[in-house]
Amino acid sequence: MELSELVVGLSQDPFNPDLNFQVAVEYERLNQTASAVSFYLRCAEYGDGLLVYNSLLKMAKCFENQTGREYSVTNCILQAIAYDDSRPEAYLLLSQFHEKAGNWQESYTFASIGLGWQWNSDELPASVGYPGGYALKFQMAVAAWWIGRKDESVDTLQELSEMELDPMYANAVKFNLERVHALL
Amino acid sequence: MNLVEKSVAHGGILAPLVVPSAFGAMNPSVYVDDDGDILVNIRVVNYTLVHAENKQLFPSRFGPLTYLHPEADQRLVTENYLCRLDGDLKMTDSAKVEMLNLHEPIWEFVGLEDARVVQWNGDYYLIGVRRDTTTNGVGRMEYSLVDIDKANWSVRELSRTRIPAPNADDSYCEKNWMPVVDTPYRFVKWSMPTELVYANPDGGSEQLFVRQTPTPPADQRGGSQVIRWGNLYIAILHEVNLFKNYLEQKDAIYRHRLIMWDQQFNFAGLSDAFSFLDARVEFAVGAAKVGDDLIVSFGFQDNAAFILRVPKLVVEDLIMEGLRYGAK
Repeated sequence: MELSELVVGLSQDPFNPDLNFQVAVEYERLNQTASAVSFYLRCAEYGDGLLVYNSLLKMAKCFENQTGREYSVTNCILQAIAYDDSRPEAYLLLSQFHEKAGNWQESYTFASIGLGWQWNSDELPASVGYPGGYALKFQMAVAAWWIGRKDESVDTLQELSEMELDPMYANAVKFNLERVHALL
Repeated sequence: MNLVEKSVAHGGILAPLVVPSAFGAMNPSVYVDDDGDILVNIRVVNYTLVHAENKQLFPSRFGPLTYLHPEADQRLVTENYLCRLDGDLKMTDSAKVEMLNLHEPIWEFVGLEDARVVQWNGDYYLIGVRRDTTTNGVGRMEYSLVDIDKANWSVRELSRTRIPAPNADDSYCEKNWMPVVDTPYRFVKWSMPTELVYANPDGGSEQLFVRQTPTPPADQRGGSQVIRWGNLYIAILHEVNLFKNYLEQKDAIYRHRLIMWDQQFNFAGLSDAFSFLDARVEFAVGAAKVGDDLIVSFGFQDNAAFILRVPKLVVEDLIMEGLRYGAK
C-alpha cells in the first residue's frame, strides 16, 4: 500500500501499533529514516509482543543507516533485549555493532548468547537482517580469531563453508577462510 | 480533537510530504501564489527527534524527548526545500533552496528555521527565524527574498534582511511571527494580546498596535500565516506545555488552536485545542485557502511533514466554536 493510503488509515486510528508499524516500514523503504523512527517508536510505545521488539530493532537499523549515532543504535538494541531476551536477532545486531567497533570479546559474547536462542526465531514482521543461526556462528568465527581462538575460528569457518548460506554470507565465509589460510 | 480524523471523515485529504533523498522533513509551510500554484516550503534537518509517548518505556539515553544529532556534530542544521503540489496535494516538483553564503554560522542552530512562504508585491519570501549569527543564539526573523524558476524548478535566495524587534530590539529570540498574507510586510508578532508589526524588507520594524484580548488558557504562540476567511482573519496557533520528568529530563506536549480576528484585528474568537495526528509534538506553520477549503501543513514529531485539506464545514465548526469563546 502506498504511504498516502497508509497515513489516511492511520489518521482514523492514530494509536494503532500495526498501522504505525506499516507507515514506518514504508518510510524506511523510501529511505526516510527520521520519519520511520517516529512511527516505529510510536508502535513500540503503544504496541505489544513481537511488533515492539521488531520496532526497536528497526529503530537501531535506522540510526545505523543515519551514521554517527552509535549511542542510539546500542540503546535501541539493548531495549529490545530487555523487552525480550529470548530471541536471537538483537544479539546478532549487538555482535555486529561491536565487531565494527573492534570490540571482539563483546562481539563474540553476544553472538554466543544469541546462538543459545537461535531456535526461537519465528520470522519477524519486518526483516532486521537475521538470516538464521549461522549468522551468529559467523560472528563468533570472526571474533574468535581476534581473541586468540585461532583454531575455533578456522574450524567454524570451515563448518560454515559446508552449509547452504545466503550468498552474502557464503562470500564472506569464503573471503575469511582465504585470508586465514594465507596467514597460517 | 484530532483534526486529521475529522477532516478526512468529512471528505478532506491528508497527504505525506516526502522530499526525495532529503533526511528529516518537518514543519512545512503551504502557500498559494498568484499563479494558483500550491507551494510548500519544507524544513529539512540533520537530526532525528526521539519522543517517547504513552508510558515512555523506550526513551533515548538522554530522556523521553531528545534531538539526536550526529554524536560528533552538536549542530542542529536546517535546509529548506521548496516544492510544488498538484490539486490532489501530490508533490510534482521539489528543489533545495540555494541560500546565499553570507557568513559562517557561529551558533549550534544553523539555517533559516520554520520559514513561512508568502508572495508580496510579486516577490517571493521565505520568512523564518535565524539564530546562527551570534555566539549566543540570538534569534531574529529574517526575510529571504527568493527567485523561483518554475520552468526548471530551481530556487535561489537573492537577498536577506534581518528584522530587528520593534522598539528596543533587546529581546533574545524573536520567532514565529505570522505574516498577514493580504497585507505586505505586516506580521502578527503576538496573538493574545494581538500585536501587529510592520517589518520593512529593507530593514527596520515598527509596532503598529497592540489590541487587548481575553486571557488565553495558555500562551498562544505563532503558527501559520494569517489569511482571510470571509470577513475574518484566521490563523493556526500553537501552545506548548514544557515540563520535566522526575529525572529532570525535558518533555513537551504541543496543541493547536484556530484564532480569528475581525478586519481591524480585534479579537473575535479562539477554538478549543486540537491535535493533528494525536502526537505530542506537532507544529503547523502553513495555512492557505484553496477553493472553499483550508489547506494546513504541519510537522509530525519534527520528523515528518504532512499537508491536510480541511473541508469548509470543518473550518466553520472551528470558527463557530471559537466565536463562542470570544463571546464569553
